[in-house]
Amino acid sequence: MNRGRGPILAAFAASMLASVGLTVVYALGGDPQLEGALLGVALGGIAVALVLFAHRMLPGGQFVEPRDVVPRATAQRPGVAAAFESGAEPIERRRIIAAAFGASLALLGVAALFPIRSLGTRPGRTLDRTEWRRGRRAVTDAGRPLRLDDLELNSVVTVFPEAHEDAADSQTLLIRLPAGVRAPGPRDWSVSGVVAFSKICTHAGCPVGLYQAETQELFCPCHQSTFSVPQGAKPTFGPATRPLPQLPIGLDDDGYVIALSDYTEPVGPGFWNRPDD
Amino acid sequence: MIRRLARWIDDRIGGSAFAEQALSKVFPDHWSFMLGEIALYSFIVLVVTGIFLSFFFDPSVAETTYQGAYEPLQGATMSEAYRSVVELSYDVRAGLVMRQAHHWAAIVFIASLVVHLLRVFFTGAFRRPREMNWIVGLTLLILAFFNGFTGYSLPDDLLSGTGLRIAYSIALSIPVVGSWVAFLIFGGEFPAHEIIPRLFVTHILIVPGAIAALIGVHLALIWRQKHTDFAGPGRRESNVVGPVLWPTYAAYSVGLFFAVFAVIMTMGGLVQINPVWLYGPFHVAEVPSPAQPDWWLGWVEGAMRIFPPWEARAFGYEIPNPFYPGVLVPGVTFAALYLWPFLEARFTGDRGPHHLLERARDHPVRTAFGVTALSFFVLLQLAASNDLAANWLYASVATVSWTFRIVVPVVPPILGYLTYRLMTALQASGADRFAEVPLRAVLRPAGDGANGAGVGRLERVGPVETADRGKLGVDGAELTVYPEADGRWRWSYDRPADDFKLHSNKSYVTADLAQQSALQAYPETPLSESS
Amino acid sequence: MKGTRAALLVTLVPALAAGACSYFDETEPYRPPAYYGTPDAEAMALGRRLYQRDCSFCHGNEAQGTSQGPDLVTGENGPALTDFMLRTGRMPIGDPDDPTRPGDSTYDDEEVAALVGYVDEEFDQPGPDIPEVEATGDLAEGHDVYQEQCAACHATTGIGGAMLAQRDEAETAGIVIPDFAASGPTEVGEAIRTGPGAMPVFGPGVVNDDELDAVARYVEYLKDPDDRGGAPIGRIGPVAEGAVGWVLGLGILLVFIRWVGTKRGEQG
Repeated sequence: MNRGRGPILAAFAASMLASVGLTVVYALGGDPQLEGALLGVALGGIAVALVLFAHRMLPGGQFVEPRDVVPRATAQRPGVAAAFESGAEPIERRRIIAAAFGASLALLGVAALFPIRSLGTRPGRTLDRTEWRRGRRAVTDAGRPLRLDDLELNSVVTVFPEAHEDAADSQTLLIRLPAGVRAPGPRDWSVSGVVAFSKICTHAGCPVGLYQAETQELFCPCHQSTFSVPQGAKPTFGPATRPLPQLPIGLDDDGYVIALSDYTEPVGPGFWNRPDD
Repeated sequence: MIRRLARWIDDRIGGSAFAEQALSKVFPDHWSFMLGEIALYSFIVLVVTGIFLSFFFDPSVAETTYQGAYEPLQGATMSEAYRSVVELSYDVRAGLVMRQAHHWAAIVFIASLVVHLLRVFFTGAFRRPREMNWIVGLTLLILAFFNGFTGYSLPDDLLSGTGLRIAYSIALSIPVVGSWVAFLIFGGEFPAHEIIPRLFVTHILIVPGAIAALIGVHLALIWRQKHTDFAGPGRRESNVVGPVLWPTYAAYSVGLFFAVFAVIMTMGGLVQINPVWLYGPFHVAEVPSPAQPDWWLGWVEGAMRIFPPWEARAFGYEIPNPFYPGVLVPGVTFAALYLWPFLEARFTGDRGPHHLLERARDHPVRTAFGVTALSFFVLLQLAASNDLAANWLYASVATVSWTFRIVVPVVPPILGYLTYRLMTALQASGADRFAEVPLRAVLRPAGDGANGAGVGRLERVGPVETADRGKLGVDGAELTVYPEADGRWRWSYDRPADDFKLHSNKSYVTADLAQQSALQAYPETPLSESS
Repeated sequence: MKGTRAALLVTLVPALAAGACSYFDETEPYRPPAYYGTPDAEAMALGRRLYQRDCSFCHGNEAQGTSQGPDLVTGENGPALTDFMLRTGRMPIGDPDDPTRPGDSTYDDEEVAALVGYVDEEFDQPGPDIPEVEATGDLAEGHDVYQEQCAACHATTGIGGAMLAQRDEAETAGIVIPDFAASGPTEVGEAIRTGPGAMPVFGPGVVNDDELDAVARYVEYLKDPDDRGGAPIGRIGPVAEGAVGWVLGLGILLVFIRWVGTKRGEQG
């Protein structure tokens, strides 16, 4: 029947034209949108043509086939059992050999697990410490140390320990609170209204990058944990359960901001044997 | 020429019997049975585009400086991995289309897997003898989730790097072994340098290999057990009705392959996805906002956002907050899914084989459970966009989150119960469509239940009035064996009352063989006198 | 085929409409500021009149603040902040309990200049002057600084975001972080230096003048970035991509398989 042939051939023709078009576009330097559109026609033309052809010109769904899976198969089961058992018989008689085989496989298996240990380092106390030390200057990502007057009131800046600007666990927020807001934490941990808290969220470890300057709250974009800086970075909303650890800071003789010690508790999310205060 | 090649191969390995069986194999062609094929063909597109990408991606976190065509990144420091992806997007012809198509293919792959799972679940296709295939399919889903995550984490951009940090923290939260698991997977404390190359090997070799092998098992089981089908004219537990593989179903299937390819490649060129040059390279103290993972992890992300700040700590040890939404929720979910066929068989007492599918209303309890679970996950998915919703609605993130905290545990069971009532009402009323069910039937319990489980409107073998009760069987039909022009024999299933006729899918050497096959397919239907 | 046609309409029409709409997003034409010097008598008079009429009820006759609004004489209050608030339409605000939102400015350039000059002269504001931002800095440097200082709140793609503000124990309000549609280079510079509303202050010690100019240039770029990959679908990220993948990608394929396959009870 040639009647239904037209749309099928048209679809194939569109596909062919698009394929040629693709080679031209590619030769001329390429363009993602043109490439996408032409690929759509080139491939889609064949798709439409094939289905039209099948619908109009191929025999449809009027066939039936018997299902023969389970009943016939079970008839042969005694044969399988017999074949297996006759082969297993000499093995079952030699119990000690079989046991020795099993034991050597087991021990080999245990030995084979040990290379997994090479995949990583021992956690040890790594999670309990950062790179902050007494006297280490707080520097920006670019390595620049900061003085007090670099920080405006109600401003926040991310700092790292000097010479460890790539230490992810040491990322710290220096926050200069606005006038009238008392610095939280021990008196000697802050200087002139500047406090320092770990930037690593105690929930799932994202950097707590948003600072709400009207209420001095830190906000984590990942799961919306909110930490109130005047309350010692205590979580006030969201799934975080612990405050952000505070870093004791002071000034060195040249007026640069320095750490007075490492954090007194592990930074970031919790883990099984995290030491409590 | 094909005939010559086929004969050459057959002379060396035999297999004509298999080939005959294969070419004439019947495949039920209900449209919802093609969802799995969409997944299969998306996977093929993933492999094809993925191979192209693997020639350009550099799985290294070594620092480098960008010198390519994208101006805002000129001179910026970044990892080789990130640089290679930006270069692929800007400096390699067709690179961006391939990259975007690869990512769209992943989205379509997992979406079609989920819809396919829902179809299999709600129609009871996982029942005996197909429990193994259910397990294989679920494993494929988990592997797809995992490979999607590793895939979009490869470019080492700011968004996916943040996601890796969260994955690390979830690993850390595992009791007893958490820090070891995290350190061994990542190679040390985050952001250890080994993670990108490891993700690369997992993503292009280990998991795709496993997926390909399991797809092979999945298809082999379907081939062996034959596909299920809905009840309908001529359909019995003992047969399968539809077009044959050659040429019709092959044409359908190849056509579908091209359609999947077409849709994915078109989106790859016309709709932007994962513009990593805008997100910027991953730097440890930077974070993007909004920060969501790709959609198939949205339910886990939503759970993490709305889960209350609860944490268990005792005797110097703790199970931190991310464990509950990040490990327990997915763990329980997949455990329940794996166990479902066995739990259902146990609780319904129905351990027999089933090849005919149920409609949603035929099994109200299963449907209700399914709706409860589905609505639970959809709501969690929506909760992952709580900050976006807050932005669009000018509402507070806290209000949005609290709304979800209440809605997520409360609404799904209510929807499940309502579904149960609707399904039993549908059954009892005998109506074919929702709109035909009187509201009264939904509000009042169904009474002594419907006319037997599994009874749909379309054809079950039962008493049927026909004019010719003597000659025809209880289904009003008869089986006819007849010769063909080439001397071989076929059989057919005929129902004169509505002129309904089905043909055997293949021809047989003798009339006896044809007759045997006919009686196997229709044990209760008589042979016609003319056979 | 009716079902197939309906399904086709339901998936394609919204998808096409959404795609078409994103190409018609319009931003306000940018009005560059006049760099205000000392106001003359006429400007002072205009400024005084406008201040008494529109501002003094909340900010006080002496700009000392009232229960309705903050003072204008402490912190970063100065020409830059006043100009920012007025030109982006954030002030005057109808209800002081409402959050500030960008929109059309109530005043024209002359009125803004008058108000800025009057308030600064009359109340001796301490804050910075309007910065001269030409947005000709290095785009890559601007990207760098933006990622470090701005992306967390304003989004890497510049679409803005949301966060919280706990006003007191009981009440937690929402803060909407705006996108840049209402801001030109000068407003960007003003916002960076004065930290309006919920935004923190970025002084020269943290973002120097060259970096500020570069950031302003990058922000301008973000208003119309290179969408090389095609329709940007809002530049929201995976949420929008997932939605489009389902509706457009899987949607079209569902229509296709409805066409290919049979329905229940049908025979092919």
